[in-house]
Amino acid sequence: MIMPPRLRKFALAAHVTSSVGWIGAVAGYIALDVAAATSRDAQTLRAAYLAMGLIAWYVIVPLALASLLTGLVMSLGTKWGLFRHYWVLISLLLTIVATAVLLVETQTIGYFANIAADPTTSGDDLRSLGSTLVHSVGGTVVLIVILVLNVYKPRGMTRYGWRKQQEQRRALQRSKQDEQRTVSQP
Amino acid sequence: MTDPPTYTDTGDDTYERFDRGSTTGMPRWVKVSATIVGVLALLVVVPMLFSGGAHGPGRHSLGGDTPSASLAEGQVLPEGGRG
Repeated sequence: MIMPPRLRKFALAAHVTSSVGWIGAVAGYIALDVAAATSRDAQTLRAAYLAMGLIAWYVIVPLALASLLTGLVMSLGTKWGLFRHYWVLISLLLTIVATAVLLVETQTIGYFANIAADPTTSGDDLRSLGSTLVHSVGGTVVLIVILVLNVYKPRGMTRYGWRKQQEQRRALQRSKQDEQRTVSQP
Repeated sequence: MTDPPTYTDTGDDTYERFDRGSTTGMPRWVKVSATIVGVLALLVVVPMLFSGGAHGPGRHSLGGDTPSASLAEGQVLPEGGRG
């Protein structure tokens, strides 16, 4: 079903907000992740792990799910479709992978936050926890790739998209011919 | 030599830049991207296989491979590992 222009604009605004917000939230998270990876100060580490847990659960995960959902709405509600163009299909796959990795990673982040929240945890224990930097930086790269794909929309139709396009063209031609026949008849 | 077909970008982010007259062949950018992703995946997966599939705690840690033994009991590391 193709969305009317007003609804499409609203869905687009929601999609851009959640997707760009996701990247921004991960950028903030990386700052804390770098602190967790490099700092030797127990207070800094404790604060970083606690904040990482909060940002991951209450900002990044909701934005990721919203981005996935609004992306589905945008593709299914416009003529772009979900499986017709390579850039849409690849964006969808990358978003699903990024969201899945994020959801698994939140278990680790939650573990760090729980340990940091325990006042009996020593500085040495906090220093031994490490960081999630590889996943957070890798995730950001994936998100930027998705963003670039969505802005540039590189050409290329899938077999399915091409077949659908041909069907639509044939249907359009048939309706035009029917129209002409109707007009020419007395 | 003819120039490749170009799109007219309407700027309104609708579906105005549809592929016209495109064929079913996979575009070059998809093939190149798939190759790069495949190589990167191999670079990640092969070392994991040689290291016994370890993708767990401390793998990417700057502070060492295992968390301190003095961590409170019951604070079990999640399966997903960390990175």
